[in-house]
Amino acid sequence: MPTMTVNGLQTNVQLIPGGGKETVVFLHGMGTDSLASFYLTLAPPIAAAGVDVISYDLRGHGKTERPARGYTLGDFVADLHDLLSQLDVDQPVHLVGNSFGGTLAYSYAAAHPERVRSIVCIEAEPATELWADKMTQILDHTVRFLQEEESYNWIEANFGSHHRRLARLAADRIMSTSMAEEVPLGPLLSLEDIAKIDCPVLCILGSHGFQSDDLEALSNLLPRGELHVFDGQGHSVLVEQHRNVRHLLLDWIGRHVK
Amino acid sequence: MTIQQESPTTVFGSVAELLYRLVGDADIVGIEITPESTFHEDLGLESIDLVTFAGILTEHFGLDVNLANFLAEKDLDEVIGLRVGDIADFVSDRLAERE
Repeated sequence: MPTMTVNGLQTNVQLIPGGGKETVVFLHGMGTDSLASFYLTLAPPIAAAGVDVISYDLRGHGKTERPARGYTLGDFVADLHDLLSQLDVDQPVHLVGNSFGGTLAYSYAAAHPERVRSIVCIEAEPATELWADKMTQILDHTVRFLQEEESYNWIEANFGSHHRRLARLAADRIMSTSMAEEVPLGPLLSLEDIAKIDCPVLCILGSHGFQSDDLEALSNLLPRGELHVFDGQGHSVLVEQHRNVRHLLLDWIGRHVK
Repeated sequence: MTIQQESPTTVFGSVAELLYRLVGDADIVGIEITPESTFHEDLGLESIDLVTFAGILTEHFGLDVNLANFLAEKDLDEVIGLRVGDIADFVSDRLAERE
């Protein structure tokens, strides 16, 4: 590794062998995110628990190739499917997704239910029409915000120079591609599609995150859904609660790895 | 290649040399890497570069010099503020544990 051609794109892949009992695939979020957010937090302890770990930079992110177009969820699902095929992962995997990475996990499980043993989603919701509307608004707002030079000054004043650089990075990724236009296109899932995802699912949410209007709606809809809420926490659960998320994930792996 | 022993000064020199290799000399002309240089702010690197650098360190020093394991115990602020000297200290500690 770490570069391999996946679905036609040069893709940055990091593997951590953990003993080969089963496989966990980490799926990071959109914009400034990369495989680093998992590789430098949860991946080492999960591999130490005896599970092989796969993490990769999604298309357009990190060190993976950034085509100008090709950012529907269907494209991301096809990438993951091709990656697992090329790595000869023939057993069902555990998907762990953060934000958009969790949305991808739900879409992958809906498209390939036989390939998924369980899902852990951190501040993520499936690609419903409601999600698409929300994403369209967020991405439109983000594009407008990042087009204004004053926005970067505001970010630096409030969050520091590191976040100013991250914002530049996000602007570069979003504005040099069709990401903002294509991601909300789906393909979208109906509530019936979601209710058919019958593997165990752990929904980890912040009480003030993106699903704060109804924290229990998703886990109630999923046949084998479980819910863990961090009180007083916003969307950045993985960043701000990574030690607690690690405990939840290790417990989950202990319960669901055969 | 696996290194058995290096003095702290030599370890810092090795880490700095590997960093120059990571970013490419052309990208950091005029920037001197010191123990106080921060990975993100001073060297202009991203977290994904830390992942790449973790692989470079392992390749150079050996499998037990695992930067990802070391950083998994840190908070975000500590990772953002990571100095080259912190990485060199970590490497020195791991090498010392071999003795």
